[in-house]
Amino acid sequence: MFTLLKLELEKLFRARSFYLSFIVLIGFVALMLWGFYTYAARKTGGEAVEQFKYTYESKQYFNGLTFALYSLLFSFTLLLPIFVSMSAGSQIAGEARTGTLRMICTRPISRASLVLSKFLVTALHAGLLLAFFIGLNLVVGLIFVGWGNLELYPGPLNLVDVPGKIMRDDALMRFGYAAVSGTWALLVIAALALLCSVIFESPVQATVMTIAAYLTLYIVGRVEFFEHLRPYFFTTDMDFWRDVFKPEIPWQNLWHYASVCGAYTAGLLLATVVIFERKDIVT
Amino acid sequence: MWVKLILLFLFCLMIAGAVYFAEPSKSEDSNSTPRTQGSLRLLTWNIGYAELEDDTRAHDKDLPAVADVIMREDPDAVALQELTGDAQLKALLGLLKGKYRGAVAQQGNGDRFEAVLVKDSRATFTPVSVRNRYALAASFRSRSDSPEVVLLSAHTDAFNAARRRAYTEELIDWAQQRAQSAPVFIAGDFNFELKAANESNLYTDNLKHDSESYSHILRGFRDLGRSAGDTAINDRRIDYIFGPTDLKRVGRVEVLRNAAVGRMDHWPLLVEVNF
Repeated sequence: MFTLLKLELEKLFRARSFYLSFIVLIGFVALMLWGFYTYAARKTGGEAVEQFKYTYESKQYFNGLTFALYSLLFSFTLLLPIFVSMSAGSQIAGEARTGTLRMICTRPISRASLVLSKFLVTALHAGLLLAFFIGLNLVVGLIFVGWGNLELYPGPLNLVDVPGKIMRDDALMRFGYAAVSGTWALLVIAALALLCSVIFESPVQATVMTIAAYLTLYIVGRVEFFEHLRPYFFTTDMDFWRDVFKPEIPWQNLWHYASVCGAYTAGLLLATVVIFERKDIVT
Repeated sequence: MWVKLILLFLFCLMIAGAVYFAEPSKSEDSNSTPRTQGSLRLLTWNIGYAELEDDTRAHDKDLPAVADVIMREDPDAVALQELTGDAQLKALLGLLKGKYRGAVAQQGNGDRFEAVLVKDSRATFTPVSVRNRYALAASFRSRSDSPEVVLLSAHTDAFNAARRRAYTEELIDWAQQRAQSAPVFIAGDFNFELKAANESNLYTDNLKHDSESYSHILRGFRDLGRSAGDTAINDRRIDYIFGPTDLKRVGRVEVLRNAAVGRMDHWPLLVEVNF
């Protein structure tokens, strides 16, 4: 198992797509910085003061922690699931495409161990991506926007019902928690992509199917017609990771949804193993 | 085999965890407060119609149903929105059999009026000019030995969040000044869209304006109807009753979801407090 893990890690670190995912994230942070900076400058300039007497659009509100939070929440919804899908979707289907899967399966290792080692490597990739992204946002926020407390208002980000504040040091800790809870939520996508990777022969097909399933449920979940279905979508459960940014973390709720996500991940992995063990590998 | 067993065990463990940590359903505190000195029962209701109708203001044919709800719930004061004018208010007061006194606000830019009804026969009504519109304040006592309180009936712009924000700022300025001499309650249809999950965009200026308007009110007042849930169709909580932050007790808080008649798109919000 450890040898398998070592080999899979080597493959991960040798893959160009691994580094590409980090480069795209850097580009996204640059885009966010430009958008945030110009928005903050516009909103804290003459325009807002002339129109409104009382405003939270102060320079204190627009600080590095706010920047990191917005950037993280925006990217988590759409950007990170794509990279996780790409990484996991290419694990088995990629080997089949390059013709190495059959050879690997002739070696004296169980197919279940192979799936598990590939999943663990994908999980590591997801964790590294998220930790890197959070760290980069905080550093960029500190340098270009400045430090302050994390102020939260009802409405945007949908985190609180009443205005709240998280002090700077506590907020930094919350970003640490988010790296863990976010990775845990992303594992559902990773497990789904790995299942698709076993079912489909092409990594592109596996990735596209995963992203299509994710986006479909995400979008349908936001349409009021399907409101009663929303609780049954894994995309709804995945949202639990954001709870760490609430002034009072709702731990019970967080553990509940973390468990639901864990059940999705374990269930999908189990299905992947069962299907892969019965699969006739012809490439 | 052991991998499958571990995964199966993890799957079962996670299901058990999800069940164990599931939050019990919250039971609503709908106990009525006994009427004592300092207790107050308030109701706010936008009795207008949904946007699809030709005339979205209150309809005369619905007034008996509105009066029935008011008589049944017996609030000390009622804030109404979207009346057509003084004649409609008089018709409603007639249906209330003289139990309430009332007034409508002056006409602002729009074609609809805010109104306040109170039981107290010595109540005074004050129009409050806010951004080319008029809100209406009533100063009254719930009992002859109770302290005087003020209820504001307000209605913000339905279509523009920036206008809602400017309106709210001026309204709260007035309320905070008045709150220095008497407890002030602000009730009405504020049209705040604060459920970001229902927005197709991740971040909009409209959401931000409503967020800041609501946050501005909460700097000096308490949102008394928060636990009662949505007050209008399409899962919207847009009707509010705000009160002083130092209330002794908040009793019954309820949205009367069976009260709407015709094509009304709002339900009345009822709040009982002790101050």
